[in-house]
Amino acid sequence: MKVLVVEDDPDIQFLIRTVFSYDVRFSVAGEAASAEDGFELARSSEPGLIVLDHGLAGELKGIDAAPKFKEVVPNAKIVLFTAHAELRVPAGDEPAIDAFLLKTDSAHLLPLAQRLTGLGPLSA
Amino acid sequence: MTNSETPVLEADGGAGAANYGKAILNILDDFGEERNRQADSLRAILNVLEDIDAEKIQLEANQKAILNVLDDFDEERARVKEANADLQAVNEAMRGFVAVAAHDLRSPLASIVGFASLLNAKWATLIEEDRREFVATIERQSQNMSRLVDDLLTLSSIEAGALNMRPELIVLGDAIERCLEAGGGDAASVSVSCSPDLAVLVDPHDLGRILGNYLQNAFKYGEPPVRIEAVRVGDSVEVRVLDNGPGVPPEFVSRLFTKFARAETANTRVQKGTGLGLSIVRGLAEANGGATRYEPNAPNGSCFVVRLRADAGSRW
Repeated sequence: MKVLVVEDDPDIQFLIRTVFSYDVRFSVAGEAASAEDGFELARSSEPGLIVLDHGLAGELKGIDAAPKFKEVVPNAKIVLFTAHAELRVPAGDEPAIDAFLLKTDSAHLLPLAQRLTGLGPLSA
Repeated sequence: MTNSETPVLEADGGAGAANYGKAILNILDDFGEERNRQADSLRAILNVLEDIDAEKIQLEANQKAILNVLDDFDEERARVKEANADLQAVNEAMRGFVAVAAHDLRSPLASIVGFASLLNAKWATLIEEDRREFVATIERQSQNMSRLVDDLLTLSSIEAGALNMRPELIVLGDAIERCLEAGGGDAASVSVSCSPDLAVLVDPHDLGRILGNYLQNAFKYGEPPVRIEAVRVGDSVEVRVLDNGPGVPPEFVSRLFTKFARAETANTRVQKGTGLGLSIVRGLAEANGGATRYEPNAPNGSCFVVRLRADAGSRW
């Protein structure tokens, strides 16, 4: 399962990459610091999962970019992964966003991705 | 008979006439009493009228006092309304502050918690290089968080008027030099124009933070060459930090020194920042009896100015 990471903080990019390295069924297909660059990568890599930050390097914010990502890759699941706790409710109201996760809860990112994509937990 | 016609006079030896006289006197007395009574009544009426006048004056005074109280009420109500509006603005700013502070604190925390969790859960399977990288990231982000906490606490002290400062006489040229030494690689290219005998009265730690912030901003958002100029202006000394970058968008200048304010430009989207730095600079400068301002640096770039109290003996 290809993962697209749209995140402008290199440390968090590294963290997400590391988290997904613990399940061989996932592979990080691309990393973008802005939504605009992310659209290009989404078109070329056709990810099954997009981990999307809200405050990005470009003009567009994550929550506003989500519908466009869904347009580009309709089958991809989108996780809004942000430090903005106040976006939990608006993210729930945005149909393009499949899940919301606070960045400080990164330990839950892999189980969430496994559930959302239907892959389920790794068998021991 | 004549005698018989006046028997009474004759008979009482003039007593009748005397009686008439008495009667007349009595009547006159009665008149006098009546007049006195009337005079008394008149006096009483006058007294009552006087009392009424006094009462009226008192009433008018009371009315005036009531109107004054009502005026005071109106003024008080206007003051309360104004204070309410101020409180509402403070509340709104506070809500914004909490939301942004929460996000900015969570961001470094996300890396710290994330990598600490990975170290804890995967320690045995991690190679030495990964462990080191995780720990280095935790350390870097802890420092970021520490700086942010420092900024938030400083801002909170400024707003509470509880800054702990000790202004002293500082030779400005030396302070600028120390600041450039601490500023790293970029600082070596900064040109300085400052008379060696310019001295300012300021807390040395606060001066370091003010100059350091202006310089870091010039490196982050401006373009070289960066230069520092210090000049005497009346009883003050102005320090100007100039760069040749794109400058501050004119519509943003009025909010430049406001906390959490960040202009939306291509540069600020790339450069991370909390938007606390300049509000701290202004707070520190004002607490030290100084002031801050921004001017465009013609033909392009920014000029950030801090005005500080000069030493009385300092010359050009």
